[in-house]
Amino acid sequence: MSDSPVSRLLATARGDAVDDPFRVTGVMMQYYYVCERELWFESRNVEIDRENPSVARGTRVDDSSYGERTRENLRLGMISLDLLEDDRVIEVKPSSTLTEPARMQLSYYLWYLDRVLGVRREGVLAHPTERRREEVRLTPERREKVESAIRGIHGIVTADSPPEATEKPYCESCAYRDFCWV
Amino acid sequence: MDKNYHIFSDGRIERSEDTVRLETEDGEKKHIPVEHAEAVYLHGQVNYNTRLMSFLNDHGVAVHVFGWNDRYAGSLMPERGQTSGRTVVEQVRAYDDPEHRQRIASAFVRGSIHNMRTNVTYYDSREYELDGVLDDLDAAATRVGDAEDISQLMGVEASARRAYYRTFDAVLPDSFSFDRREYNPPPNPVNALISFGNSLVYANCVSAIRATALDPAVSYLHEPGERRYSLSLDIADLFKPVLADRLLFRLVNRKQISRDDFREELDSCLLDEGGRETFLKEFEETLERTVEHPELNRKVSYQYLLRLEAYKLKKHLLTGESYDPFRRWW
Repeated sequence: MSDSPVSRLLATARGDAVDDPFRVTGVMMQYYYVCERELWFESRNVEIDRENPSVARGTRVDDSSYGERTRENLRLGMISLDLLEDDRVIEVKPSSTLTEPARMQLSYYLWYLDRVLGVRREGVLAHPTERRREEVRLTPERREKVESAIRGIHGIVTADSPPEATEKPYCESCAYRDFCWV
Repeated sequence: MDKNYHIFSDGRIERSEDTVRLETEDGEKKHIPVEHAEAVYLHGQVNYNTRLMSFLNDHGVAVHVFGWNDRYAGSLMPERGQTSGRTVVEQVRAYDDPEHRQRIASAFVRGSIHNMRTNVTYYDSREYELDGVLDDLDAAATRVGDAEDISQLMGVEASARRAYYRTFDAVLPDSFSFDRREYNPPPNPVNALISFGNSLVYANCVSAIRATALDPAVSYLHEPGERRYSLSLDIADLFKPVLADRLLFRLVNRKQISRDDFREELDSCLLDEGGRETFLKEFEETLERTVEHPELNRKVSYQYLLRLEAYKLKKHLLTGESYDPFRRWW
């Protein structure tokens, strides 16, 4: 059990697994629920085409919506929080499409804070362009879901080649679209 | 995709407020909308300064320079390109593995022969008798798999291209006779047109490769470093028949380019400024032409096909998924 993906991730986060580190970022958690192929690309640093319009848009919303006032981007080991507000973890998303992946990304942050840093926090998923907010808590079910996702992510990123492409509704706006399908 | 801007006249280009201004030697002023520029091509003697270079760099605009005889002289590429150590490592690893290198190089040759063949078929179905060429191309295609090393593969490619060039003499009028490919310098109009077309395809491939993290100097069919951007030579071979050769046939046969459009000196022949402008206008229109892409389910420009080719190669190197060379499908 000691070398299960979850324990390896925790050991890596604590600096104990230098020989065989395993890191999961928030974006990787999100991609696991959006597209496993994209997750593999991300894990191998396959660069996306920065001219892609939806990439440019995402970056812009991220950077501008909360202004300089509260924007923090707290880097805590593997994770990087958008914002801490009244002790709550705020995750900013440009739109509320793909809500579950964003919810899991935030859940992973809460899990990480709890398991690695011993800090319990609640989370808020914010869609500034739609003026919508949603509270996210780390329930036992979510905790189990996060850990099972960590195991799934490990399987994907350690494979030699990416999972095959499968058509999804949002392939249309994906930065990897042309790279993936051509 | 953004546009290419070509400058023929001698003069200077400079940054002027938030745009680029060209001032020719006879005092004419023109502006290049930098927001919509993919690359600027300098064919004349043009002066510029570092202030312009920084400005173009900020806007991600490349500069391709053509020197004496309109030969490609080099590129000034925007610094903020893609970089990925892993991509370059995989690219070199594939080069260094003879079997893998051979596989990629063979794909380039197969694709090139296919694309030459589609041009020949097109003219064969009209009044020209090109059966012999088709047979030779088919024979070369079957020999691709038998080539034991890169030099044999190069030989197959060369014999295919020799056969293919017979089409040029058959399809073009008598005043544009062509017996063999010669360059440096080109001795007659057809060689001059081929050289000019090829250098444009080549420079556009440089831009396409630089949009990925691939190193343009690490190649598979051509020897790395044969020319500075030898990967561009590999990819350009696939596209010459589609982007440059068909255009050449059309321009000459429709008399848009005539013998008068060339400057002939002792043993060299080059397009004059008017000829180059005619060729370029049609070349740029060809780049903008679109075709329905079967995998992407949308129309893509011919220019974007170059970018897609770089993506395909990069994907092959990083994922191990097969690389299928560009083959004209329409």
